[in-house]
Amino acid sequence: MPPTKTNLLQGTLDLLILKALSLGEMHGLGIARRVGQITKGAFDVKPGSLFPALHRMEEEGWLSSSWGESSNNRRAKYYRLTAAGKKQLKTEATHWGRIAVAMSLALKT
Amino acid sequence: MALHRRLAALWRNLLHRQGAERELDAELESYVAMLAEERERAGMSAGDARRSALIEAGGLEQVKEDVRDVRAGVLIDTIAQDIRYGARMLVKSPGFTIAAVIALALGIGATTAILSVVDAVLLRPLPYEHPDRLVVILHHGTDPVAPANFLDWREQSKSFAAMSAAEYWTPNLTGADKSEKLWALKLTTDMLPMLGVHPLMGRVFAADEGEPGRDHEVVLGYGLWQRRFAGNAKIVGTEVTLNGEAYTVVGVMPGTFRFAPFWATKSELWVPMSLASQSTQRGGNSLRIFAQLAAGVSLAQARADIAAITARLRQEYPGTNGDVRVVPLKDRVVGDVRPALLVLLGAVAFVLLIACANVAHMLLARAAARQREIAVRTALGASRSRIVRQLLTESVLLGALGGVVGLALAALGIRVLVALGPSSLPRVETIGLDGRVLLFTLAVSLLTGVGFGLVPAMQASVLNLSESFKEGGRAGSEGVRRNRLRSMLMASELALALVLLIGAGLMIRTFVALQQIDPGFDPRGVLSMTVGVAGSAESAPGRRGPFYQQMLERVRALAGVRSASAINHLPLAGDTWGWAYWIEGQPLPKPGETPTAVYRVVMPGYFKTMGIPLQRGRDVHESDAMGAPRVIVINEQLAQRAWPGQNPIGHRISLQKPTSDSVWMTVVGVSKNARQEDWAAPAQAEVYLPVLQNRSYLEDDGAHVAYMTLVLRAGDDAAAFAPRVREAIWSIDRGVAVSEVQTMRQVVADATAGPWFYLLLLVVFASVALVLAAVGIYGVMSYAVTRRTHEIGIRLALGAKPSDVLRLVVGQGMGVALAGAGAGIIGALVLTRLMSGLLYGVRASDPVTFAGVTALLCAVAFAATLIPARRATRIDPIQAMKNE
Repeated sequence: MPPTKTNLLQGTLDLLILKALSLGEMHGLGIARRVGQITKGAFDVKPGSLFPALHRMEEEGWLSSSWGESSNNRRAKYYRLTAAGKKQLKTEATHWGRIAVAMSLALKT
Repeated sequence: MALHRRLAALWRNLLHRQGAERELDAELESYVAMLAEERERAGMSAGDARRSALIEAGGLEQVKEDVRDVRAGVLIDTIAQDIRYGARMLVKSPGFTIAAVIALALGIGATTAILSVVDAVLLRPLPYEHPDRLVVILHHGTDPVAPANFLDWREQSKSFAAMSAAEYWTPNLTGADKSEKLWALKLTTDMLPMLGVHPLMGRVFAADEGEPGRDHEVVLGYGLWQRRFAGNAKIVGTEVTLNGEAYTVVGVMPGTFRFAPFWATKSELWVPMSLASQSTQRGGNSLRIFAQLAAGVSLAQARADIAAITARLRQEYPGTNGDVRVVPLKDRVVGDVRPALLVLLGAVAFVLLIACANVAHMLLARAAARQREIAVRTALGASRSRIVRQLLTESVLLGALGGVVGLALAALGIRVLVALGPSSLPRVETIGLDGRVLLFTLAVSLLTGVGFGLVPAMQASVLNLSESFKEGGRAGSEGVRRNRLRSMLMASELALALVLLIGAGLMIRTFVALQQIDPGFDPRGVLSMTVGVAGSAESAPGRRGPFYQQMLERVRALAGVRSASAINHLPLAGDTWGWAYWIEGQPLPKPGETPTAVYRVVMPGYFKTMGIPLQRGRDVHESDAMGAPRVIVINEQLAQRAWPGQNPIGHRISLQKPTSDSVWMTVVGVSKNARQEDWAAPAQAEVYLPVLQNRSYLEDDGAHVAYMTLVLRAGDDAAAFAPRVREAIWSIDRGVAVSEVQTMRQVVADATAGPWFYLLLLVVFASVALVLAAVGIYGVMSYAVTRRTHEIGIRLALGAKPSDVLRLVVGQGMGVALAGAGAGIIGALVLTRLMSGLLYGVRASDPVTFAGVTALLCAVAFAATLIPARRATRIDPIQAMKNE
């Protein structure tokens, strides 16, 4: 199935960001790239949706951030999951799993 | 935890906005730089890489805006921004702002002032315990009750937790330096406990006080305690002298305590009353009955209870217990002024609505002028709701400003209202600005802000972007919808103003009609004062008659005094006693149908002094004294009722049920009807007896017969005679109390003060409404002319005469004005009926008032239209088209 432009629902984007960050702390561009990777290019996250989402999730308390050096010695803002964020990832993943199963069942019949 | 984090975020966003902004800039900058590096690594040139990275980032400003929108506190932030921006816009056009704030302040101020009166007088519960369960039980709901009936009701009824009686008393406070006649009440001992008001000091009466021998105790009012006893903290237990007898002070009531609330309101001392000696007295009605409904008993049940008891008593004692009504105390207290106050409240609400309509079309005109600004904001990405919010913020800001200024006006207005308020306005001492009223003002200010701002804001936000830019500042043709809205606002302003003006007009006609009532006496140059002998040496039987005569001699001897006399109760200001009478030679009336007459007792020369014309016969003479044949003067009303078409002189009247030894009094004079209790009430039958033949007034102990009201006729400066007259009286005996010094002109003014007050307020409100409406029409028409400059220019260029233009503009304005006037007439026909209780001598639908006021309004509208219309005729066609 060729990757098509998928309209990212807000909840989906949140879940993808949480999943991407579950592997360790990352800056904005890194998150965008990682989401592309783990969805095999199906999702191309643009800054217009990425940064509002990051700031919102930080205010929700799921993420925390700090400034650090990138591999190319560039200052960048790094995000990591908080305990609340990990819990949120678990809840949302379960929730999403249920929807996915239900949807595929519905579409098969 | 999450809440805590969000609050922290809110804190950071609001207080460290700049820090947060800088951080966001840095974050996005680093993002773009890294993206560019990535591109460079993929083989792009440095310049290309950066450019493509920026393009991919999709407009950094937009991203930042989106991030800001998700931040906590974004709403507070934009509101603060809107307020700052709005304030700037208001400051930038001070003329508009000042005009709008003045209009709103007038509306809000008037509304707040009247509402604070309505709140204090009508809405607040009476300051007693269980105020909703307190009732009065009176004949016809207004008249006093006989002791034996009260005792029967109290014993036989089951609906009341308590039932007590009060009786009016006017003792002289003697001793100390000067005697003073006081207003007081005698109360059955359960009254004060029933009201549940606790004394400031001491105690109220115990249950067994009031029995003979234990009834010389007194509870003082706060005002009297301060005034006469300098707030003496050790007053309880001391003795005061009332009518020459010693009374022990047992308590002092707090400053807020007033009783009774609807009659004898000036009472400032209370003594216990025993009814033991009057337990069979069913004739003299002197008691006002107050009762508290038992818990869970409805008014209807209590009424049925009393109705059953009085029906039974009527059987047993024919002629008693007629028409006994149970009325909630609050209704009795405020019932008379409620319609008037509600009319005033309606009137100020109209003023407020007119002010709102006025500001609304100022805003409409302004919004039209601001089209370009709004178009720019829309083009820069402001949503429609954002624009509406911005415009609403501005109008709420205006409302708030109007509220602040209005509050100052209200504070001033309340003082004027309290100072001018008629004495018939109850609870006037509790009127003032307080939390409730302030809250109301706040709500009204904000609501009016939204009310007058919403429609213009919605209108302004709907605009065609390209149109606005294309036309630029040019006077484009106006939208039909907006035009219609403006016309509707103008018409409704006029309609509201017309209703108010008609109301005011009806009050003016009422006042004129009241002024034309003939008082029956000539109030010019007459001075009156109450002279009380109770407690003085002059009170002794055998002394009173000579004292009154001596008093008149000394007063008549004063230079400038033309005549002097005295009466028991002054017309309009004094009490009116109803007294049964019988006519000699006429059949006895059926029980309960005996006619009554107002009972007056006068000194010789009363009619001459008061200027009451005698239609027949003579005045009371010095010779009408003890031992001489009993005589009586009657009024025209009684003469017509008792002897229709005959000359009553020489006929005889008795004031007791005729028996073989009845005292018959010969009619020696018939006077013109003089006003009695109410200024506008039709005259009742009235009798005047010579004091010098009246044993009760000369000898009885009771305080109610131990005073007379001196009247004297001098020049126009009658009031200036007061000190000399007082000295003349005190030169006989300093123990005599002189009080209630007033000219008859004042008495007449007080009697008509109620209508005068309402007239004054309605005229003020109607004038404000008229000015606002005129300004509104002027504004709308000027604006219309400005918008149509181009069109009018073309018309003139094509050969239209100035008179055509004049007709065009005036025609447009007057069309709307007439529509408004039509609506106003219909509204007034419906609404003025609500004020028919306030009117006298004029119908609520009086065609003269309606026509006159409508003509006045149309004239004002015409004038307000004419000015802009004349300006339109002077438009220079070439200039008008060049400006395009």
